[in-house]
Amino acid sequence: MATVTAATREPGPYRLTEEHEMLRDAVRVLADERVAPRAAEIDRTAEFPQDLRKLLADHDILALPFPTEHGGLGGELLPVALAIEQLSRACATTGLILAVQELGSLPILLAGSSEQQKRWFPSLASGERLIAFALTEAEAGSDVAAARTTANADGDDYVIHGSKRFISHGSIADLITVFAVTDPDAPRHRRLSAFVVEVPTAGFAVTRLEHKMGIRGSPTAELAFDGVRVPQANRLGAEGDGFEIAMRTLDRSRPGIAAQAVGIAQGALEVATAYARERRQFGQRIGELQMVGAMLADMDAATEGARQLLYKACVEIDAGSPEANRWSAMCKLVAGDAAMRVTTDAVQVLGGYGYIDEFPVERMMRDAKITQLYEGTQQIQRLVIARSLLGKDG
Amino acid sequence: MAAGIWVHGEVAGDGSLAKLSTEVATLARALAEASGEPVTGVVIGADPAGAAATLADYVPRVLAVAEPETAEHAAGTIVAQRLAALIAEHQPRMVMTGAGPEGRDLAGALSALTGWGVLANATAVRWDDGGPVATHNVFGGKLVTESALTGDHGIVTLRPNAVTAEAAPSKGKLETVAPAGSLDQPAVPIVERLEASGAAASIDDARIIVAGGRGVGGPDGFTLVQELADALGGAVGATRAAVDSGWIPYSQQIGQTGKIVKPALYLALGISGAIQHKVGMQTAESIVAVNRDADAPIADFADVFVVGDLFEVGRALLEQLRARSG
Amino acid sequence: MRIVVLTKPVPDPASGAERLGPDGRLDRAASPAVVNGNDEYVLEKALKLVAEAGEGEVILLSMAPASAPETMRKALAMGATRGILVTDPALEGSCTVATTRVLAAALKTLEFDLAFAGVDTSDGVAGVVPAGVAALAGLPYLSYAATIDPDMAARTVRVNRITATGFDVLQAPMPALISGTQALGEPRYPSLKGIMAARSKEISTIKMADLGIDPASVGTAGATTRVVDSHKPPPRAATRVIREPADEAARQVVAFLAERRLI
Repeated sequence: MATVTAATREPGPYRLTEEHEMLRDAVRVLADERVAPRAAEIDRTAEFPQDLRKLLADHDILALPFPTEHGGLGGELLPVALAIEQLSRACATTGLILAVQELGSLPILLAGSSEQQKRWFPSLASGERLIAFALTEAEAGSDVAAARTTANADGDDYVIHGSKRFISHGSIADLITVFAVTDPDAPRHRRLSAFVVEVPTAGFAVTRLEHKMGIRGSPTAELAFDGVRVPQANRLGAEGDGFEIAMRTLDRSRPGIAAQAVGIAQGALEVATAYARERRQFGQRIGELQMVGAMLADMDAATEGARQLLYKACVEIDAGSPEANRWSAMCKLVAGDAAMRVTTDAVQVLGGYGYIDEFPVERMMRDAKITQLYEGTQQIQRLVIARSLLGKDG
Repeated sequence: MAAGIWVHGEVAGDGSLAKLSTEVATLARALAEASGEPVTGVVIGADPAGAAATLADYVPRVLAVAEPETAEHAAGTIVAQRLAALIAEHQPRMVMTGAGPEGRDLAGALSALTGWGVLANATAVRWDDGGPVATHNVFGGKLVTESALTGDHGIVTLRPNAVTAEAAPSKGKLETVAPAGSLDQPAVPIVERLEASGAAASIDDARIIVAGGRGVGGPDGFTLVQELADALGGAVGATRAAVDSGWIPYSQQIGQTGKIVKPALYLALGISGAIQHKVGMQTAESIVAVNRDADAPIADFADVFVVGDLFEVGRALLEQLRARSG
Repeated sequence: MRIVVLTKPVPDPASGAERLGPDGRLDRAASPAVVNGNDEYVLEKALKLVAEAGEGEVILLSMAPASAPETMRKALAMGATRGILVTDPALEGSCTVATTRVLAAALKTLEFDLAFAGVDTSDGVAGVVPAGVAALAGLPYLSYAATIDPDMAARTVRVNRITATGFDVLQAPMPALISGTQALGEPRYPSLKGIMAARSKEISTIKMADLGIDPASVGTAGATTRVVDSHKPPPRAATRVIREPADEAARQVVAFLAERRLI
């Protein structure tokens, strides 16, 4: 039998570095002290927390996704994920502020010229301006390529007609990355182009704000583009690049949602654990009852599993893995399902108390659901993974 | 002949002997008995006579050295230089001092000048195998260690309130000695002395201390703390947070930069029990804490931990204590 | 303005994982290391002073194992300019005498206006090293500082030293060594910018050979003290937790006090 020897190549670190831990702890302190006390109120009033947006900006947290030369902190995925996770532990809406800022900016990062990055990144990194990602339409959700919003060249401009649905931060953003059809006759994946629209602008309107099950403090808007003019200089990449830009964006942004999901799960786990330590029935702490203990154990394992996959995915994607889409889809799939399961079980552990708003777990359960839906439903994630397994043309 | 245990007697601001030095002296006498070594006290100060006379109540022989520079200069380094010169002349085998700020400054400079090792911050010292063995509390109280010198000479610093001071059966002899050696280290002048305001009962040797922390919320809250201290016949203590907020004078601060106390009862109100405070009171015989936060660290080392509002519980306690005493 | 801050990596008191190794010395691998608490306070003061002066640098100086750069990063993340590490396997197990000698020798190779140290460390709690370093380096020594006020024009520094009854105001010419306390002010939490910037800040190393110190005089070989025993302190009885309403809670406390003959 062949002897298995120790690592034959340079072992990489499989733990967070001191820097990552410092970063995570810095955000955790902020989340515990400043965000958590606001979470219930944000959910109840469904008001976007401008104060927390400012807090994140003041603490350079919104600078995390951006390159250092434009006032950012580097744009590595793992630090961003760590921050989103810690924030979401306290409040999913607040974690989403960072996630959406990253999501909206990624097209510019991936396809924008250095002039465009210089133009927009500094005010985004400082949190002075917010950016949204407008891809989804009423008739184009999972089927991205079916988008119908058009952008017609007109002199030095494009004119955009159409509408977008379910756009996070759509009503509060200053910049909107919009995907519109520039060539309806091109092959399916070459019809779209990407533009950055600076709002307010003539022809742009917010036509609807959704009332949602969860992440209620995050404004989700329907946007109308009625002859919105945008200069050529605001197009990202070449005409027809839009679909690819969107896909590459999602490859890098899905870990952010996974981080939100892991954070929500962790928050729920902590509440359930604290409750199980305190609550006494049948003469003992309920955590000592095996059925409850088993649930908590499964919740912890599910959360940790999702977390480790998330961290690994971030590192692999940043390292330029040719399987970035697999990592990205997988971490979001696992984390979203974990969040839903863990929060549902957290309500279960708290029993009747879990169902009332005196405890945060019912909110966490409502918040968790979205992580199985946006930035690609779980079904889309599975499609991506299956294709990766079977080979792209399988 | 290298022999003898020396006790450094610390001169307090008013010229008297520091209480800690009486504790060190008591311990030195016990070690002298166990070892057969002679014990000598040394007092070095601008006007050492008073302190030296008190020290002579504790040890059979005291050297009093008049060093005028200590009147208007930071004493530690100056005393260390004089002591180092005396050591070179008389060759004792060890020097003991208190582990308060003065003692540590002295021990540090003396160690550098002599090359002698330091058994620092001892809570007890015994004589074993021909030398001193010191006991220490490390890791915030989680572990007790014992250490010894590897050579023949060393310095020992003793924690306050670790030993109960006990005068010797007969008074010792005083010897006036001229300062020896030279003062080569830069002397640091004291340009001003600032007194902290407030004259509260001293917590140094209080049998019972009632202490307030951040939870007390303000100077008014300390009225309740004082009332409880009065009802129990004790003194008022505070955490750094309360002192920093200006609710109570620094002289009542207990903890790493305040005082280390060892009362029979420590009643902690609105105190979380963080390590910087814990090290100041963790050796109290009985610890009772009241805090709204069930997860406060003090819950881990208190004898009794009441989860509740300190004002409600405090007032109820006050009422019941007063009712008891008639 | 150049301020050197002496820092020491210590086992994280919050981790509860500190322990001694088989040789009776601190087992540094057992628990995560952090910057000594008191050092953070003097570092914070140094950073504030340099910021107020509008120019200058804060240099960290540490005698520590080779793994120490990770711990130094946190202090760099707070805003220190760069770090200097004196590291050598021969230094392992050093007593306070050796530590004092090494730090004083390292300090002598540097140019600075002020040197700060925490009054003591949370692991050894000896509190004797700063005074010793000052003596060996021939620096004026101002200890137990609650406030530090430098006057760069006059090249002097004034310190309020904590005493039993209040403060002694000390003054000395620069360069001077100051040991500082928590009274100096809460250390900042490193900002994210600070954390990310720390990774590119310089940490240079000094070897003992550079300082001309005989390896036999330091480390376990040259130690002036040794641990002969260690054990857990006698356990306190389990905490009695009372969650009753105020009156009932007070009743139980009174009963406890009576039981222990305190009233």
